[in-house]
Amino acid sequence: MSRIELDACAECDLLLNPARPTVGDKARCPRCGHLLQRPRKQSIERTFALSAAGLILILPANLLPLVGIKVLGSTRDGTIWSGVVTLYQEGMWAVAILVFLSSILFPLINIVLSFLVSGHLHFQKPNRYLPQWMRWLQHLEEWAMLEVYTLGIIVACVKLASMAELKFGFGLYAFVTLLIVNAMLASSLDQYLFWRSIEQLRHKKPHEN
Amino acid sequence: MKTEMGALAQGLIRCHDCGYLTKIAAAGRPSHCRLCGSSLHARLPNSLHRTLALVISAFLLYIPANIYPIMTVTQLSAGEPHTIIGGIIELIKSGMMPIAMLVLVASILVPLLKLLGIALLLLCVHYRWQVDARKWTVMYRIIAFVGRWSMLDIFMISILVSLVDLGGIARVIAGPAATAFAAVVVLTMFAAKSFDPRLIWDNQR
Repeated sequence: MSRIELDACAECDLLLNPARPTVGDKARCPRCGHLLQRPRKQSIERTFALSAAGLILILPANLLPLVGIKVLGSTRDGTIWSGVVTLYQEGMWAVAILVFLSSILFPLINIVLSFLVSGHLHFQKPNRYLPQWMRWLQHLEEWAMLEVYTLGIIVACVKLASMAELKFGFGLYAFVTLLIVNAMLASSLDQYLFWRSIEQLRHKKPHEN
Repeated sequence: MKTEMGALAQGLIRCHDCGYLTKIAAAGRPSHCRLCGSSLHARLPNSLHRTLALVISAFLLYIPANIYPIMTVTQLSAGEPHTIIGGIIELIKSGMMPIAMLVLVASILVPLLKLLGIALLLLCVHYRWQVDARKWTVMYRIIAFVGRWSMLDIFMISILVSLVDLGGIARVIAGPAATAFAAVVVLTMFAAKSFDPRLIWDNQR
């Protein structure tokens, strides 16, 4: 079967001739305004590099203390992980699991999948799991909430500032760097290009399927 | 392509995950995308029913989420339960207006407006309202985008409970509303995901 050389808008189903926007331009659906394509400079290479950086940062960001407080001589440090554990110990297991998934596990899987997919595409290595990884990546994206967690840290610090002395730990620097890397990663990953590349890579191996 | 034509009207199904177009075969349609293997549906399956069920559940949970304390702050053995609104009033009293507004938007306005917005989208599709579909799609897009930011309160609590655990001096304990509120956020996110905006366009003449 030949490939249908057309695109359809995800949000209004309008049938379109594939747009070929240049780097820095955006292609939007003429009918509903949905962002169809947003090509990036060296999308695959940048995604690969940024996800490698993310993999290095994610350990210190999760394990080193983000913020510490000092009240009447006693100090306490908080990591993302300790928040999860405390919630769990207090019997709030549902909330603990949700926090664990959205601030630790999903961001980690997100970065690992970006690393795997962009790595395979960069080195032109076909892999039959590529489409599956890409699908998981797309579905997990909105459940990885590092940016929202950052706002949570800010609000918590504001609330604590009146009652205790705050110290910022090394983990916070790692976390903020991870946040920036993650945001750059999200914007460098051009899903349209990735799917096209996965398709082309599959055609390199004619015996597949 | 000059004439505005939906892909489905041309006998094409767009894969939800990878965007690959597949022809609806004359005898029974293909069930899986040839590129990525995800199952093919012209529109998200049971979109309206699923979304409605999720919205109703979220709305019901929104009530305990606001009535019960979301956390209890204990200082020198005097416990003080806070509801979501109570926490915001506290912030305003201590002069943290911008942060209070942020929490107000993220934990009260966003979930409520989301629920109303999705309910309107459901009514619009169910009763085949003739609307400016572009504007309604923009509304859907905003609803789908803002949902995750409501997790702010939950994350703040998870930081507070682990930090403020100083025995008898001061302690923060999460309250039952935290679970209800977390469920509201998750359910509304699923509701936005299960709604198919193409249904708005299908009904327009």
